[in-house]
Amino acid sequence: MENGTITYVQSLREDLGIFRVTPENGVPDFKAGQFLTLGLPLESKIVNRAYSIASSPENKKFFEFVIRWVRRPLPGRLTSLLFNAKVGDKISWAKPAGNLTINNTLASGEKDTRRIVCIGGGTGLAPFVSFAQHLHDTNDKREIVVLHGASYVDELSYKQLLTDLENESIDKGKDKWNFKYRAAISRPEEWTNRAWNGHKGRIEQFLRSNDDGKSPLDELVGEKITKDNTMFYVCGWQGTIDGTMDYLKTKNFVTEKNKREDGSYEVKFESYG
Amino acid sequence: MGMAEEIVTQPNYEKLCSTILNSSEHIRFTGFVNDKSKILHSAQRDNLDSLLSDHEIGMSIHYTLERWRKAQNFTFRLGKERLTFTEYDHVTLVTIPFKGKLLLVSTEPRISYDPIIEKVNSILTDWEKM
Repeated sequence: MENGTITYVQSLREDLGIFRVTPENGVPDFKAGQFLTLGLPLESKIVNRAYSIASSPENKKFFEFVIRWVRRPLPGRLTSLLFNAKVGDKISWAKPAGNLTINNTLASGEKDTRRIVCIGGGTGLAPFVSFAQHLHDTNDKREIVVLHGASYVDELSYKQLLTDLENESIDKGKDKWNFKYRAAISRPEEWTNRAWNGHKGRIEQFLRSNDDGKSPLDELVGEKITKDNTMFYVCGWQGTIDGTMDYLKTKNFVTEKNKREDGSYEVKFESYG
Repeated sequence: MGMAEEIVTQPNYEKLCSTILNSSEHIRFTGFVNDKSKILHSAQRDNLDSLLSDHEIGMSIHYTLERWRKAQNFTFRLGKERLTFTEYDHVTLVTIPFKGKLLLVSTEPRISYDPIIEKVNSILTDWEKM
C-alpha cells in the first residue's frame, strides 16, 4: 500500500460525501472508470475497501471519490472511518484497478465511434464523472450521455459539474464537445424533492419506449438507440443493472460477460450490490 | 376455469385509524405513512382546528421520516425503535413503527401518556394477529 493524505472532505448529506486523497508520491497513471482500494487503521489492523475514482486520469493532483455511508443492516467499517476522518489524516491506498473502462476500439480492431451512454445509480455515477472529464480533457469527439439516478435531489452529487459540461457542449457546438446530462429522481413525491421538475422514476426508464415507440433516450439523442450506434456503461446496484438489461436485451444488446463469438458487445457494467 | 388470485393481506388503515382515534379522547389525530412519505390513511377528531397548514404537514412528515430513517442506523446496536415522543407546548407527537409503516399519533400535551400508549399498542397487537 502507498501513503496519502485526506485533503478535502465535502459533506453533501449526513450520509454522502466527496473525499479527496492526495498521494504522497503523486497520482499514478490509471484509466477512467477504475477503482482504488483505500485503507485506514482500526484496532491495530488496516481495513481496506475499494471505491470508484470520480476524478479523471488527467488530474495529477488528487484522487476524488463520492461515497455513501450505508449503515443498514450494518455500517461498513472503512466507510465509517472515512466519515469520521478529518482533512490532514493519513490514508493508505493500493494501485488503481477495474475493468469498467472506456472502449476505444471495436472487436474488429476498428476505432469505436459509437455514442457512449453512461447509466449511474447513486454513487455508481463516480466512474462516469471520471469518464466525462477524461473524454473532455482528451478532446474526444464521440457523443456522450450521462444519466444519473437518485432517490433525492441532494444526492445529485455532480449536478453542477455535469451541467457545466453540457452547457459547454451547447456553447461550443456538438462537433467540438458533444455531451448531455440528465437525472431521474425515484421518490418525487417526497418533500425534499418538491421542487424537482425533471425525469421522475428509475433511471433505466430513460430506455423505456413510450406509446410512439420512442424512449426518452431516443428523443434526447434524436434517433433510435441501436447496438450499432451506442455503447452502454452501467454502474450501480444490481437492480439498476438488471433494470437496464431488461430494456436492452429486447434490442439485442449483449454484455461484455456474454459477448458474441466475434468478441463484440455493447454493454459493460459494474455492480456494487 | 378460474384465474389464480394472489391474496395480499393489508391492514385496513381506515378502520385502524378510526379505532385508535376513538381509543382516547385525548388523541387529536392518527395516521399511517409509508417510507415514501405517502399518507396511507389518517383520521382527525372533529371540531379541531389543524395546527399546521397542508405544506407544513408535508414538512412535518418529512422531518419525522428523516428522524425515523436515521434512528434505524442504530438498530444493529440498540434493537428496533419502538416509540418516540415529541412534546410541544400545543401538542404531543407520538410515532410507532408498525409493519414497515409509521403510525403517527398526536395528542393533547401534558397528559398521562402511558394509558394511551398501552391502548394503542394493544390495538396494534390485535391487528397484527389478524
